[in-house]
Amino acid sequence: MIKSIPYIVQPEQVRPGVADYYATTIANGFDFASVLVKTREGRPIKIEPNKLASSNGGTTARVQASVLSLYDNMRLKQPVANNEFVYWSDFDKAITGKLAELNTSGKEVVLLTQTFASPSTTRLISEFKAKYSNVRHVVYDAISESAALDAFQEKYGERGLAGYNLEEADLIVSVGADFLGDWQGGGYEGAYAKGRVPKNGKMSRHVQFESNMSLSGANADLRVPLTPSEQKVALAKLYGYVTGSSVGGKLPKAVEAAVKKIAAELKKAGSRAVVLTGIQDKGAQAVGLAINEVLASKAFNTATPVKLRQGSDAAMNQLVADVKSGKVGAVIMSGVNPVYTLANGEAFGEALKKIELTVSFTEREDETSGYVKYLGAAPHYLESWGDVEFKKGHYSLIQPTIKPLFDTRSFQDSLLKWMDSSESYYTYIKSTWSTGFLGGSSWNKALHDGVLVAPVVAVEAQEGDAITADEVSVGAAVANLAKATAKGMELSLYVKTGMGDGQMANNPWLQEFPDPLTRATWDNYLTMSQVDADRLGLSLAQSTFFTEARHDANGGLNGTYANVTVNGVTLKVPVMIQPGQAVGSVGMAFGYGRKAGLKTEMQTGVSAYKLYANADTTQDIQIEAAEGIHEFACLQLHNTLMGRGDIVKDTTLEVFNTKDAKVWNPKPMVSKDHEMIPVDSPDADLWTAFDRSIGHHFNLSIDLNSCTGCGACVVACHAENNVPVVGKSEVRRSRDMHWLRIDRYYSSQDSFIDDVEKKDNIAGLGSSLSEFAELENPAANPQVVFQPVMCQHCNHASCETVCPVAATSHGRQGQNQMAYNRCVATRYCANNCAYKVRRFNWFLYNDNDEFDFNMNDDLGKMVLNPDVVVRSRGVMEKCSMCIQMTQKTILDAKREGRAIKDGEFQTACSNACETGAMKFGDINDHDSEVFKMKNDNRAYHLLEHIGTEPNVVYQTKVRNSNDA
Amino acid sequence: MGSHYEAPIRTPLVTGNKSYHDVSVDVARPVEGRANKHWWIVFSISLAAFLWGVGCIIYTISTGIGTWGLNKTVGWSWDITNFVWWVGIGHAGTLISAVLLLFRQKWRMGINRSAEAMTIFAVVQAGLFPLIHMGRPWLGYWVLPIPNQFGSLWVNFNSPLLWDVFAISTYLSVSLVFWWTGLLPDFAMLRDRAVKPFQKKIYSLVSFGWSGRAKDWQRFEEVSLVLAGLATPLVLSVHTIVSFDFATSIIPGWHTTIFPPYFVAGAVFSGFAMVNTLLIIMRKVCNFEDYITMQHIELMNLVIMITGSIVGVAYITELFMAWYSGVEYEQYAFLNRATGPYAWAYWSMMTCNVFSPQFMWIKKLRRSIIFSFIISIVVNIGMWFERFVIIVTSLHRDYLPSSWTMFSPTFVDIGIFIGTIGFFFVLFLLYARTFPVIAQAEIKSILKSSGDKYKKTSESHE
Repeated sequence: MIKSIPYIVQPEQVRPGVADYYATTIANGFDFASVLVKTREGRPIKIEPNKLASSNGGTTARVQASVLSLYDNMRLKQPVANNEFVYWSDFDKAITGKLAELNTSGKEVVLLTQTFASPSTTRLISEFKAKYSNVRHVVYDAISESAALDAFQEKYGERGLAGYNLEEADLIVSVGADFLGDWQGGGYEGAYAKGRVPKNGKMSRHVQFESNMSLSGANADLRVPLTPSEQKVALAKLYGYVTGSSVGGKLPKAVEAAVKKIAAELKKAGSRAVVLTGIQDKGAQAVGLAINEVLASKAFNTATPVKLRQGSDAAMNQLVADVKSGKVGAVIMSGVNPVYTLANGEAFGEALKKIELTVSFTEREDETSGYVKYLGAAPHYLESWGDVEFKKGHYSLIQPTIKPLFDTRSFQDSLLKWMDSSESYYTYIKSTWSTGFLGGSSWNKALHDGVLVAPVVAVEAQEGDAITADEVSVGAAVANLAKATAKGMELSLYVKTGMGDGQMANNPWLQEFPDPLTRATWDNYLTMSQVDADRLGLSLAQSTFFTEARHDANGGLNGTYANVTVNGVTLKVPVMIQPGQAVGSVGMAFGYGRKAGLKTEMQTGVSAYKLYANADTTQDIQIEAAEGIHEFACLQLHNTLMGRGDIVKDTTLEVFNTKDAKVWNPKPMVSKDHEMIPVDSPDADLWTAFDRSIGHHFNLSIDLNSCTGCGACVVACHAENNVPVVGKSEVRRSRDMHWLRIDRYYSSQDSFIDDVEKKDNIAGLGSSLSEFAELENPAANPQVVFQPVMCQHCNHASCETVCPVAATSHGRQGQNQMAYNRCVATRYCANNCAYKVRRFNWFLYNDNDEFDFNMNDDLGKMVLNPDVVVRSRGVMEKCSMCIQMTQKTILDAKREGRAIKDGEFQTACSNACETGAMKFGDINDHDSEVFKMKNDNRAYHLLEHIGTEPNVVYQTKVRNSNDA
Repeated sequence: MGSHYEAPIRTPLVTGNKSYHDVSVDVARPVEGRANKHWWIVFSISLAAFLWGVGCIIYTISTGIGTWGLNKTVGWSWDITNFVWWVGIGHAGTLISAVLLLFRQKWRMGINRSAEAMTIFAVVQAGLFPLIHMGRPWLGYWVLPIPNQFGSLWVNFNSPLLWDVFAISTYLSVSLVFWWTGLLPDFAMLRDRAVKPFQKKIYSLVSFGWSGRAKDWQRFEEVSLVLAGLATPLVLSVHTIVSFDFATSIIPGWHTTIFPPYFVAGAVFSGFAMVNTLLIIMRKVCNFEDYITMQHIELMNLVIMITGSIVGVAYITELFMAWYSGVEYEQYAFLNRATGPYAWAYWSMMTCNVFSPQFMWIKKLRRSIIFSFIISIVVNIGMWFERFVIIVTSLHRDYLPSSWTMFSPTFVDIGIFIGTIGFFFVLFLLYARTFPVIAQAEIKSILKSSGDKYKKTSESHE
């Protein structure tokens, strides 16, 4: 115990050792989710999904990690006026004075904010407008969905986004929409995954047209790589085929055929089909909406539009112009960082400097801070009050879970102050709710649940500037799309799962979070196809002895640099070879390249916003080779499965429906006395079997069909288990500490099934040499599979027998346990682990300036879970199956004298899994879900033939690759 | 000469017309004389290397195993490679002194003392690695089954690492006792010759009061025989048990039943090579050409050739078994070994261990001092690579391709290895200046049967 002070007077509600949960909402303008916050002794330590939420109740990796941003030492701790810390009273005095001046002079006051999607903020701003007559409110999204919003608004008269219930779709066709990522605010994976698990012989079919390899593309049954301009043509043609109209435009023959076939499938599926598009073009979005209307898609919902993005490019462009021309008297910003997120951010910043009053409410100093006069220290969402309307009628509350750590005040509270209101934002929200949509239900219940679905509520229309968009008919839009061509290479900017729009760049968990596809950490890069890399001289030799090669001697991945130029802006960016990248296109992720207000370690990558001209994610681009070799830090260095079909079992829906499980999920057999017996038969056992039918026996089932690879579990595991962050250079040395990782494999042939076949047909030495070498390289457009791997908790654990001091041994409930205190670290256990899930504390990762992350910082350490020990240097660690959570459940039930219900047992990963791919529970409870999963005909164990008998069970991946 | 009669056509084992007194004088000379410049130069280099190694060890222990090049996939590399390499080298001494004693091979007498010294010094180096490779070496005593107050905590007798603890410590202690027993009459000889009181005091202490009575000799012979009997199974057991570290695991490339004999043969192979390396220098520096003759070197070369061939057969058997097993993971492990990213290490091993000893079929080459010396170095390089290949190439690409990576040593890895070589030579050079480096008492026992002077005399008498 270091620096711990006991309570003098114990608060009544805080029971040491007992966690309290509060429902709240994250709404930072990019991430919106209704969450449960676990607090211990008054400290929020973990974010969990709010399972009561009917929409946006899932947590992404970023939402999971957001709790760490609360304890960020780089946060702005009090308000700043002209580069000096001031008191709020002085801050207010200065600003209200200026506002009064401007009110008399009639110069405009602009509120430039993130998308709050907040009914109370909307009301507040309209009241603010009433008080100061010269106020303009501009909503700005760093990564714009303006095209979709404009198209929707034009068609349905309301500013919002169409909702999609993908569970209702048997056929999902996406044209450039990474809907499993952050497309239009995200939140679609839960419903998607439900349709992806074969039930009664049926599962949905997912077709993806895209240029970058996205999470959605990786999960698709059919993925067609297309450049951004080809996507436009393909969308136009899809519309043409579905409506039966003729559409021009050129596509490669194979693509043309694919589009035609998919259009036929769409027509056949009719209302059970849905089309999504991520093309940043109003016309394309209108066409997307039109196709769904034509199909009368059941998954398509316009009645309750999604409110998570509200920014308008036109309004923002107007503002930038007005600021530059000096028309504006004041710019008050909240939750935005335009100097970083605008393509011409610095110019905007310089223009801001000339404005009389510039205020930015921000959690930490950022790029924009340097250009404004007043910085309002904004609280973290876990310290604030607020409310959110995710989609029409679906409300969620933000409540503080800790007293503000610093002298911070929210934008809304400040507006109230500036309006001379004595009201707090809390009471303001309460009155918004009780006079508005709360109806008869209780405020306390809404606060407890965190969410409220109001039946039919007429919400006042969003204030904002009128959209002056052209009235384009769908026909014209289609014709326009069909004409799309590219001048050379095309850049497609994308959002990385870990970093989002970049506002959480100072969060070490997210920096060290491996990208689900490239599995690179601490970086962004230009994703490029092998073909283009070869053509442009940007490819490194696979393996050479003395020259620069793709891999260093320690395995670390290297890349070349390219100078990329868009509209005269040139950036030097490392190049990552990305299988599945459409030839002729490159991708680059937003959110990196930040410098201001970040620790040096976190200043990673290059800012793609510099290339985000006209808020268009696709750009024509020039690429030239540049000097130097870039060192990546990838968690996974080998990308293919080498035809090892017993690691990821994979079959097609057709085979799954028609053949016996023995065909597509064979049990490994071993020979005993010259007779083949199943490897898990007691006769194959060297050991006297232990009676595991008493008490609990935990198993974890992982469904490869519903796992989208989103990585929420990875960060949840970090947070729950105090997993250390080790930094870029250590990750590069293959020393990441992730207890749970999501392996991503690319097929080397067209499919994994072909890989296995190729391997099985290898005969002779010559063929072994050439074909194994070929299997090491991913295909140009490979199949992808995600496989979460953590300690498999083997009942016959190979690690347990080899430890000389018995530091790792088997628990009564099936866990393979690790006694850190006993470990002398011979590392034999890690060597002898077939799954390579053991992680070693190579250095001291806490209180060590060499690892200056949250565990080297009194504030950052507040996030630590007191139920899990922080490991010292020189011990082995690994997944514990969250034994602290299962024990808690057992003890609670015991105290209450009741049996434990199925679903009560959770691990951090299973709890974070929105898609339900991870199911945890007690297999001695034969009514449990996990017991059923364990005995499902899709169930198999990883590397079952070794005979380790794991307690983690996987479900065979079934792909709906057959049409019809 | 009764039972000691040896046919005159047999090559004499002691040349240069040595008398008993000559032997005493020759063996005592390096101890009684002053060190020459060469000794000081070599000693200084060794000491510097040793101190560098000590520095690297201190750095490792104070900072963490992260100072090495290991990673999540490759948890052992140079540490255990060095460990097995040094243990292997340590095999020759006991083999020469114990097994050859039981087989009454008199040529061992010229070399057994130094070979045993080498064994002990090598085992000291080897023993260092299991300790320092631990993440928390200060808790290393936990691997010993000693009663403790940690509750009911006990060591895990299932773990091959625990077997190692017993095997190595037993081997070290038996070797040490065996060596010291042999040293007693020789220390006594030095004691008797010593003129300085301090030296006399020390040598009389270490010779345990040897008086040279017939009873002393009788007991000496009995103890030697008993210890030889005890040590002989150890020759086989130590490396067998070391090989269990790998053989009992589940990693393809490690999980192999051929390992025990293969490791023992390899150990003898490398041990003899190291003996050759040391003695070829020593016979020159200390003028022991008459005791460590060409005949000795040739016989050693033959052992190297035979064990090298056994090792070669083992390598090929491994490949065959991998193919014959039909297990894809096995097959890939060996394919990767021979053709993957570490193929250079594999083929270095093959060249050094399998091909180079085959030159010893040629009599001219195996009787060439310089060639023998080169081959002895080559073999030790090869045997180091053998362990590196087994450990690293098996680990770096095992079951799940997602975890595949590479290993590259840091300066600390290299520094510690160099440090142990330095330490080894520091010990050996100190030994060469203070110990009777040839078992003179034993040499004297064969002087009349195998010494050239007496052979010539008996020839002339016929």
